[in-house]
Amino acid sequence: MIYKIAHKEFIETLRDRRFFVAALIVGGLLLVSLALGWQHSRQIERQHEAAAEMTRKQWLSQGEKAPHSAAHYGVYAFKPQMPLAFVDRGVEAYTGVAVWLEAHKQNDFRYRSAADQTALARFGELTAATVLQILLPLLIILLAFNAFAGERESGTLRQVLSLGVSAKNLAFGKVLGLTGVLALLLVPAVLIGAVALMLNGDEAGEPFNAARFALLVIGYLLYLSVFVFVSLAVSARASSSRFALLVLLGFWITSCLIVPRAATDIARRIYPTASALEFAAQMENDIKNGTDGHNPSDKRLADLKNEAMQQYGVSRLEDLPVNFDGIALQAGEDFGNQVFDEHYGNLWNQFERQDKVRQLAAVLAPQLAASSLSRGLAGTDFAQHRDFAIAAENHRRLLIRTINEDTMKNARYGDTKYVASANLWEKVPEFQYAAPETAAILKKQSGGILVLFGWFVVSILLMIWATARMRV
Amino acid sequence: MLKAINLTKNYNGATALDDLNLNINAGEVFCLLGANGAGKTTTINLFLDFIAPDGGKALIKGFDVAEQPLETKKYLAYIPEQVNLYKNLSGLENLEYFSALAGQDRYTKEDLLGFFDEVGLRREAAENRVSTYSKGMRQKVGIAIALAKRAEALLLDEPTSGLDPKASNEFSELLKKLSGRGCAVLMATHDLFRAKESGTRVGIMRHGRLITELSTDEIGHADLERIYLENMRN
Amino acid sequence: MLIHIIKNEWRNLRADKTLWLVAGLFAVSVAYAMFNGLAWTNFQRQTIAEAAAEDSERYDALKKQIVEYERSAPEKLSRFSDPRDPAAAGRNIGQKYAAMSPAPLASLSIGQSDLLPYYFKISTRSQQTFTANDELENPTNLLAGRFDVAFVVIYLLPLLILVLSYNFLSGEREAGTLPMLLAQPISLRSVVLGKIALRFAVVTVLALGFHPLVFFLIGGGKLLTAEGALLGAVLWAAAIVAYIAFWFALAIAVNAFNWKSATNAIALAAVWLLFVILIPSLTGVLVTSVYPVPSRVEMIGAMRDASSDASARGSQILAKYTEDHPELVQGEYDPNDAAARTYAVQETVDREVQPILAIYDEQLQKQQNLANNLRFLSPAMVMQEALNDISGTGNARYRHFLAQVKIFHAEWQNYFIPRVFQKARVTAATYDAAPRFVWQEENSPAVARRVLFGLLGIIAFTLAAAAFGFSAIRRYSAIGG
Ligand SMILES: Nc1ncnc2c1ncn2[C@@H]1O[C@H](COP(=O)(O)OP(=O)(O)OP(=O)(O)O)[C@@H](O)[C@H]1O
Ligand SMILES: [Mg+2]
Repeated sequence: MIYKIAHKEFIETLRDRRFFVAALIVGGLLLVSLALGWQHSRQIERQHEAAAEMTRKQWLSQGEKAPHSAAHYGVYAFKPQMPLAFVDRGVEAYTGVAVWLEAHKQNDFRYRSAADQTALARFGELTAATVLQILLPLLIILLAFNAFAGERESGTLRQVLSLGVSAKNLAFGKVLGLTGVLALLLVPAVLIGAVALMLNGDEAGEPFNAARFALLVIGYLLYLSVFVFVSLAVSARASSSRFALLVLLGFWITSCLIVPRAATDIARRIYPTASALEFAAQMENDIKNGTDGHNPSDKRLADLKNEAMQQYGVSRLEDLPVNFDGIALQAGEDFGNQVFDEHYGNLWNQFERQDKVRQLAAVLAPQLAASSLSRGLAGTDFAQHRDFAIAAENHRRLLIRTINEDTMKNARYGDTKYVASANLWEKVPEFQYAAPETAAILKKQSGGILVLFGWFVVSILLMIWATARMRV
Repeated sequence: MLKAINLTKNYNGATALDDLNLNINAGEVFCLLGANGAGKTTTINLFLDFIAPDGGKALIKGFDVAEQPLETKKYLAYIPEQVNLYKNLSGLENLEYFSALAGQDRYTKEDLLGFFDEVGLRREAAENRVSTYSKGMRQKVGIAIALAKRAEALLLDEPTSGLDPKASNEFSELLKKLSGRGCAVLMATHDLFRAKESGTRVGIMRHGRLITELSTDEIGHADLERIYLENMRN
Repeated sequence: MLIHIIKNEWRNLRADKTLWLVAGLFAVSVAYAMFNGLAWTNFQRQTIAEAAAEDSERYDALKKQIVEYERSAPEKLSRFSDPRDPAAAGRNIGQKYAAMSPAPLASLSIGQSDLLPYYFKISTRSQQTFTANDELENPTNLLAGRFDVAFVVIYLLPLLILVLSYNFLSGEREAGTLPMLLAQPISLRSVVLGKIALRFAVVTVLALGFHPLVFFLIGGGKLLTAEGALLGAVLWAAAIVAYIAFWFALAIAVNAFNWKSATNAIALAAVWLLFVILIPSLTGVLVTSVYPVPSRVEMIGAMRDASSDASARGSQILAKYTEDHPELVQGEYDPNDAAARTYAVQETVDREVQPILAIYDEQLQKQQNLANNLRFLSPAMVMQEALNDISGTGNARYRHFLAQVKIFHAEWQNYFIPRVFQKARVTAATYDAAPRFVWQEENSPAVARRVLFGLLGIIAFTLAAAAFGFSAIRRYSAIGG
């Protein structure tokens, strides 16, 4: 029975010229956006690989040089492209592409690619994620708003129900029919996506990517089915197909347009962040005067001297078996690192809290849940940017420590002319970044996943409820 | 007053109205009879300029409907099978609006209520939203609009179908009153009894042609039915 | 006659819950958007004020320090923190802020202002060392975009119009009132005109009605006296009115098709999607693929190469530099002067990387030009550009700022660098006479011309749609089918 209904819906939709045009456009956009995304990803990936190689080469070919000057020269860390970024570019355009790793300072990421674009970018980029999150739901609404209301207006609903078909069977038949129609669009896209992913690079480990891709597909299916169920529910209860359409368009606009922006501004208000000016001033102050304000840098230096001399039982810095300049530099680093950890930690926690508000607001707008999950799985959300930033910072610390240790060991105290040998630079390993495991990402996304799942369950129940009390 | 000269209308090659000639004078009530699809509504729509003729012309007070639609509409009122009004407005507001559009925008509220009295609608009902009205009440508002407009010609398309016998009777009385004041009436109907009662002349249509024209004075109720069925048969 | 139609239409609209519902939602949206915009510009203003305060406090401290050090200098004083050293003054401790404060109407459209820097700390270093000064912001927030008045206008206002007018004719036909109406001596065009005129008035009042209040909130009355503000307010209103007219013209065109109301709603939703989402993002793709801006990572590598290369040839470069600039050294120079060498090297590096940096500016400029031409493809794009221009939060005003910063930077360098070469001691008077950045507002007639030119595009669209609608409506049937 359900199958018969599904078959009829399927055939009917396919014969509708309007559907044909709309599906062609949406399907076309989906494929185009996948292709563009893939090309963009490859290009960025190549550029960043080349740049990473170059920065390494520059670092290694410094020759004989004062170590501290090398520490000031530093290296750059470039954000790698995540394998699934071609599906969802996420926040990539807004994070900056590179960070300078130098002595004394944890730098911010520089060069947001969105700033190198016109304001058009603010209308949103055309990515597969946009098509899946914004356009497909609209297509579903257009296909389904008429499902019951239209049949009621043409009188066929009474006919069908008078034949003894249960409302529930009718509803699930329609769900199945719609699913069949959507499968015509989605199956090719998924296949092409899978192929693109395989071509995209072997370094990141296949099985791991396959799992993520599968999760991404499941996430989007959950999201899209919410729109199927809600549309059918509204169609079953609305007084006319016109009214059903208006209600559903309202839902779409709220979910895809209004709530995401409104939630963003609310999140900023609940969890405000300092200006860059203030942020830098606070860090500078903490480094100068100590985190508690009673431990200024000259006092710290004096303490350090005494401590070092006590440790080695000498009374003059010149007599220390290790170079005190190196010790002082490293102590300065260690202290700075504490300050950076605290300030950047607080800032980034605040950002993540803002993202949590957005996940929470997904209760009103399923798009927020889907977009958060999609960014997470694609590796292009803020949390994973943070993960990379921390990895880069750790590399900076390793680099500076290596260099300071060389000064400690090899330089004479007070020798400002000391140069390190050309092979010191090789002691600093090349920066390698391992992206977080899928399990860790899912854990971070658990709130959003829960909400998305909630939408799924509630919308099914809503549909069952609405069809049981369908207007005839 | 209402005149059709060789009026013809085709729909995708099929003739809906074929060479209709008709002349209805002031004070006359002409009833158009005929099977479903005979071309009655088509005739009325042509007089309203809702559709354009493929041949011939429709004249109202000597003006060609297709050429001077706005001029001709000054003189006519239209009551379809279902008088649809603005649901969210009261009967009074509807009446005020339609008569204002017809150029009669100087009525006081009392004047307008007077029309309600005249068509037999209770004054209390005038202030209610039209969505609460019965079908008969809405048809009466239609007549009130015609009265307020001082229409000289009236086009009616099955105005009494679906009305109960009493409402139907009241409606006929109102028609008589209007024609008594010199209004020319063209009414499409399936109700032979009403046609005989309130019409001065009847015309029987078949496949878009007017095949018989009679004066109601000359025949009885039974005759009309017999003549009608005869015309349908051959 | 028209007045009766308008009056009746008002009665009908008033009696319908839809109007009050959407008007209420719209009002709430505008108020919320205003609130957000104000919060942002206040934040910016406050930051700029803090920067200025930090500047003057620092300068006072430096001057005090000079007096102190002249009396007795500390024994271990680093050259980089000696206020009397011209290199330290121009490069490290005496840096000054150059800020672009928000334009009078900046709260209405946040535009690019959350993405592009609005103040720089100017030093004698190369310009690119201080121009990548982004405000701290959660990238997800930037991605989502702001709920500002421009968003409400560009995205939501058309929807308000569409809800009020998608069935303005088809609805009458479906309710059966259209035949009754057209049996009266009025033309369908006057009916359309009356219905649209009323809706246009309602929406315009709704959309612009808040603005006096808003302007008051922003400026507290001062606003209209601020430079260019009154003109901006007028342009803002003009842009909105043109945009409203465009969407009504579309509603007329779609209604002229004799479709059912539900079909009209779908068609208008599709048109909205096309103009507000699809065309802009496809244009974005086109613009960035025709004139791609290379990733900045390439620039980083090239700059580092140039600078390490130049540093290696430091003494050579300094010699050449002093030869080219005899006025700086008056005869002989000190080949071991590290500060002087720094600037000579810097100048060489700047010259060498200039072509690379230029690519970014050129490509972006080309993108901007192409986008400017293509914006006529969609009134939403024209509006975005126009509203950002009026609010001073677009790329144009930012470029205007950068140009001024460039001049100021040159002034700054010309002030301090000769002193470095001449080893001239910096005194309190030197600090007092240091160049100051004075922001010059964009030329407002030029902005107005740009905006009005854009609006012509919207007006052309509007006229085309309205002309189509009014001519197609001749074939509109009162009785359906
Ligand atoms: N819009 C149209 N398109 C095509 N054919 C039409 C249209 N309107 C009417 N017709 C045809 O014209 C012919 C006359 O129709 P008309 O509505 O005038 O009949 P009628 O006499 O009013 O019938 P009824 O008694 O059912 O109201 C019919 O054959 C009908 O099918
Ligand atoms: Mg008929």
